[in-house]
Amino acid sequence: MTSVPLVSVFSADDSSKVTAKHIPLPAVFQTPIRPDIVSFVHTNIAKNRRQAHAVNPQAGMQHSAESWGTGRAVARIPRVSGSGTHRSGQAAFGNQCRKGRMSLPIKVWRRWHRRVNIKQKRHAAATAVAATGIVPLVLARGHRISQVPQIPLVVEDKIESYEKTTDALNFLKRFGAFEDVQKVVSTKVVRAGISKQRGKKYRVRKGPLVVYFNENAKLLKAFRNVPGVEVVNVTRLNLLQLAPGGQLGRFVIWTQSAFAHLDKLFGTYRYSSIIKDGYQLLRPLITNPDLARIINSNQVQEKVQPAKTTKVLHEVQKKNPLKNTKAMDRLNPYAKKQRAAAAAAIKANTKGTKKIKKNKALKKASRAAYNKVAASLNDATKAAVQEEQDIKVKYFSVQKGAAQTE
Amino acid sequence: MQIDEVVWQVINRGHCSFKIKTISQNFCRNEYNVTGLCSKQSCPLANSQYATIKEEKGLCYLYVKTAERAQKPKELWEKILLSKNYEQALAQIDEQLKYWSNFMIHKNKQRLTKLRQMLIRIRKMRLKGFKELIPIKKKAERRDKIREQKALVAANLENAIEQELIDRLKNGVYNEIMNYNTKAFEKVVGQNQMEDEEEREQQELEEEEEDYSDEELIFDPNDLEEDDDEEDQDDEEDDKRLFQKQTFNQLRRENDEVKDIKKKKPRVQLQYEEEEEVEDRKKQQIAF
Repeated sequence: MTSVPLVSVFSADDSSKVTAKHIPLPAVFQTPIRPDIVSFVHTNIAKNRRQAHAVNPQAGMQHSAESWGTGRAVARIPRVSGSGTHRSGQAAFGNQCRKGRMSLPIKVWRRWHRRVNIKQKRHAAATAVAATGIVPLVLARGHRISQVPQIPLVVEDKIESYEKTTDALNFLKRFGAFEDVQKVVSTKVVRAGISKQRGKKYRVRKGPLVVYFNENAKLLKAFRNVPGVEVVNVTRLNLLQLAPGGQLGRFVIWTQSAFAHLDKLFGTYRYSSIIKDGYQLLRPLITNPDLARIINSNQVQEKVQPAKTTKVLHEVQKKNPLKNTKAMDRLNPYAKKQRAAAAAAIKANTKGTKKIKKNKALKKASRAAYNKVAASLNDATKAAVQEEQDIKVKYFSVQKGAAQTE
Repeated sequence: MQIDEVVWQVINRGHCSFKIKTISQNFCRNEYNVTGLCSKQSCPLANSQYATIKEEKGLCYLYVKTAERAQKPKELWEKILLSKNYEQALAQIDEQLKYWSNFMIHKNKQRLTKLRQMLIRIRKMRLKGFKELIPIKKKAERRDKIREQKALVAANLENAIEQELIDRLKNGVYNEIMNYNTKAFEKVVGQNQMEDEEEREQQELEEEEEDYSDEELIFDPNDLEEDDDEEDQDDEEDDKRLFQKQTFNQLRRENDEVKDIKKKKPRVQLQYEEEEEVEDRKKQQIAF
């Protein structure tokens, strides 16, 4: 992680003054960023704040309705008994019926809360803390931190003794955190939906989270009334505050003692946590997540074989080498020369144009002969046909004569 | 450099507040984005080494971000003023982003070009002037129109004008004969009759001498043209109220000054029940 391994602590009164330079970054900030763990843990932990509610178990069932059965030309759904009112004979009880009870009515004994493994919860918290130290993640979450001198922002313990809200506000202004507060103020909207009638009139954004250490700190009251700002003790860091909505990268302002306490709280890669008994920070699967850099580095490229060209297994369309000269040449490179030699030989054998003429004459003679034969054959067939016809005629005339005489 | 990959995975797969998704493309709302598109190469968050061009008051600046300042958001972007000369500015970009990826250099140059062309266009428009399109807001227009009408009605303009004219009349602004609506005149006359009888008497006495001069003034230059109307001189009876004459004169003068109307003015016929004036009128005619 390229989190700055060294962090400066700022003076509470003057954002340009640094009271302590180069404090080492607690190991938590080097935890691998695991949005999957955070998302899982958040969705489950968020359910733990729910209060049981249910639908009235009798709702829709307060009738002595009975099904009329078959044979009455109505659906078999239970119908309200009695008479004298519109309601009688109307369908009841079913989820599909008007005024019927809902299907699977909500019971109080629904499993409202979820338990999550402690280790998972701790990993999630650690990741969330790490994410608060990464500027792009805080920006992407939507915090206005472009005027903040440093992330993670660590301030001397003096702010823990702030009692007045004006002090708190001025402090935020000095450190460029007021822009975030202004964002909260300007984006406060009346909530859509019925929740506004149930005590949740406004939707308010999250602003900075101030983390302190000493239990006697009065800053809780000083920051309480500043919109969007939340105050929490280090020992009670809450994932729901560190990653609101399951989204990593809350803007956090640490006090010096709180910051120093993080090592004890989460432990380091050298020793496991003191407070979270036996908890060891998550180790990354891959220490340098920048794969592109690794692959393109000299050390890797040296060992890597050159990229293979694509192998052509066969032609897209089969060409017959006996007919297609190019296909033939592909198979037998000498074929070209053979062909050339053959052509030359043929040319050499033929002598002038006489032979050609002779051939023509021959052709003509043979053709004439053929025609003669064909003609004679023709005549012969014609004669034969004529003869046959004569015979036929004779025969039939004889027949006729025979018939006539009879 | 190491985190960039991780950041991109988280932002792209998860939620990024600057990303705008459309059917065909994803855009990036971040002010420092070179291309405006959401992609790994052009994401200012997912690249610890990044550069953009931004324009401020007609000047182009090159904003550069390096991994060294990654943890200090306030000092993150180094702002370098680019030369006003286009070619020099391109050279500056080349120099500042030497050995950077071609993508970054190329996109910055493209952005510079685009911004400069925009600035040229702005300057042209300022010099030439341009038609500013203002939307017509139906609701507002409708509302104003109706209010205007109401205001017009509420103002009682006619009444106010009438009052003003009457006041002028009283004040003696009009000396000559004026063309007026008979009904209105009679109304006014009635009023004056009620109010200023004493005054009238006094003025009559005072202004007898002025009669002639007034008569001259009364003489309507337009009347000369109308020979047919000499018969109507008998009917011309206007000496009952001398002060009215004066006002009418004044009115006429005003009329002429204003060059109001060249229309033929009808002879005004006044008939009074009182016959005392007849003699005076005769006198006037003689004076003619």
